[in-house]
Amino acid sequence: METPVTPPAMGFAEKLMSVKRHTLYLLLIVATSVPTFFSITLPNKPDQPSIDFFTTVMALPEGSTILIETDWTKSTRGDSMGQMQALLRILMRHNIKFAIYSTADPAAPQVARDTIGRVSEERRAKGERPYVRWEDWVDLGYFPNSEATNNAIATNIRKAFAGKTEVPGVGQPATDVFRSPVLSHIQKVGDMPLLLVVTASKTFDIIVERLYGKVPLAAMVTGVMGPESTVYYASGQMVGLCVGLKGALDIERMMESGVNNPPDKPVVVNKKNPEVVPGFPGDDNEGNGKAYYPTLHLALTLMILAVIIGNIGMVLTRKGAKS
Amino acid sequence: MNYPLFKLTLGVIATVGLYTVLWKENKFYRFWEHAFLGLAAGWSLVALWTESLKSVWWDKMVGVTAEGGGVDTPGFWPYVLLLPIGLMGYFVFSKKHNWLSRVPIGIIIGLWSGQQVQVWWNRYGPQINGTLKPILPTGDGFFVPDTTGMTPEEAAAVAGNLYVSQAITNLIFIATVLCVLSYFLFSFDFKNRFIRGMTVSGRWLLMVGFGAIFGSTVMMRFTLLIDRMYFVWIEWLRDTVLRIGG
Repeated sequence: METPVTPPAMGFAEKLMSVKRHTLYLLLIVATSVPTFFSITLPNKPDQPSIDFFTTVMALPEGSTILIETDWTKSTRGDSMGQMQALLRILMRHNIKFAIYSTADPAAPQVARDTIGRVSEERRAKGERPYVRWEDWVDLGYFPNSEATNNAIATNIRKAFAGKTEVPGVGQPATDVFRSPVLSHIQKVGDMPLLLVVTASKTFDIIVERLYGKVPLAAMVTGVMGPESTVYYASGQMVGLCVGLKGALDIERMMESGVNNPPDKPVVVNKKNPEVVPGFPGDDNEGNGKAYYPTLHLALTLMILAVIIGNIGMVLTRKGAKS
Repeated sequence: MNYPLFKLTLGVIATVGLYTVLWKENKFYRFWEHAFLGLAAGWSLVALWTESLKSVWWDKMVGVTAEGGGVDTPGFWPYVLLLPIGLMGYFVFSKKHNWLSRVPIGIIIGLWSGQQVQVWWNRYGPQINGTLKPILPTGDGFFVPDTTGMTPEEAAAVAGNLYVSQAITNLIFIATVLCVLSYFLFSFDFKNRFIRGMTVSGRWLLMVGFGAIFGSTVMMRFTLLIDRMYFVWIEWLRDTVLRIGG
């Protein structure tokens, strides 16, 4: 009768190398869950693209209308919702009117409408004037071909959105959006001081291809898109750029402290322009950026540790094999 | 159970269901995966009509009736011609008539190709221009002076100079561009050691770039997970079920 063979005991290096993936998943879930219960403020210095984005939006004339291409859905909520919330808070506090449209995903308009509704509701709860559809903003809908849509906007914005209607009020008939206070004065896209794209997809490239030179462009993109988007900022094709969660946090930070403000001891310094841009100190400026940033640090620390431990294990195993 | 709580609870169950695949492939995960796909497909179909086709095509074709019953916007019947052209695309499934599908594809390719010169220049022209950076310093001092407290004119004067630190940055930028471009010159056999060194540097610099892109990607994926956890623990559990926050 054969005696059962017991496998040799694992060495320290092998143990390091063979941590079960389920253990790592569990650690990751704990690391991304626990910090969400605490309000932790980490030091943050806004990047220049974010500063340019913020100062551009803050410089928009009160009562003017901008166009927003919103191309994100729940799948990138972690990055895009914090960005969009911060943007909407600024626009609404400055009475900037806006028209939204989407070209990337059929779910994008609904996600944008929900976010606008939430931020408007925040205002109502604080006793401020809520943003009213038709009066303050309009929804131009979803267009399945981004190239054609943005080309049409560049050529003739009125024809591009011809036939789009909104209901001005309860009991009123659907009316052409170009009769609304938001778009009635717009004849061409260049009449708008800014076109903003909040996106998680390549529609960002298409916007540049089709609309660069027709209207100033600025963007809020996901972290994945950061490196590829920076070239447009560096070349001046984008007047401002907000990238990922860090971008959202930058905007939230500047909403609280302003830029070059106070002039004698500024918290955030704009190296390009000494103009003082006051933020909204004491207002409801915090959002997903601040809520998620500490958690992101813990998660990244965990990953870096896992990579280091795995590599130490590998080196020790190789050394053991050689000896 | 009120509607917001029901809605969020369903979202939490779906989230947990989809994450169960981390443990192993299972029917609970499959159910939620299929539910998501079905919902997304159904939503897309309806949204395509309500958000886009109705106003952009149908209403323009049949016209719009005014409140009192008169004509608000008259119809423009030639829009009907778009339907057969679009439907021709489906002949791709027919062995006998699949040539018909090339008609709409040809139109799309033709329109697309015609735009490419302008599109290419709009996208890359300013970037090529932006690559031509000065490398000879014009300002006194190494670093860019702090413009805090300066008048706009003084700040503009600072912005108009090129300081040594900026010149070094520009030099690194231009060297990187040239090295990476030389890496992609596959048509020549480089015997010169300097050029060979440039191509090797180009490869290393590309690797550094890919590393930065990969880092950004990982960071964003973590953000998505954090957002889901925030949804489960804060938005659902703390703020809605326990009602102790928000």
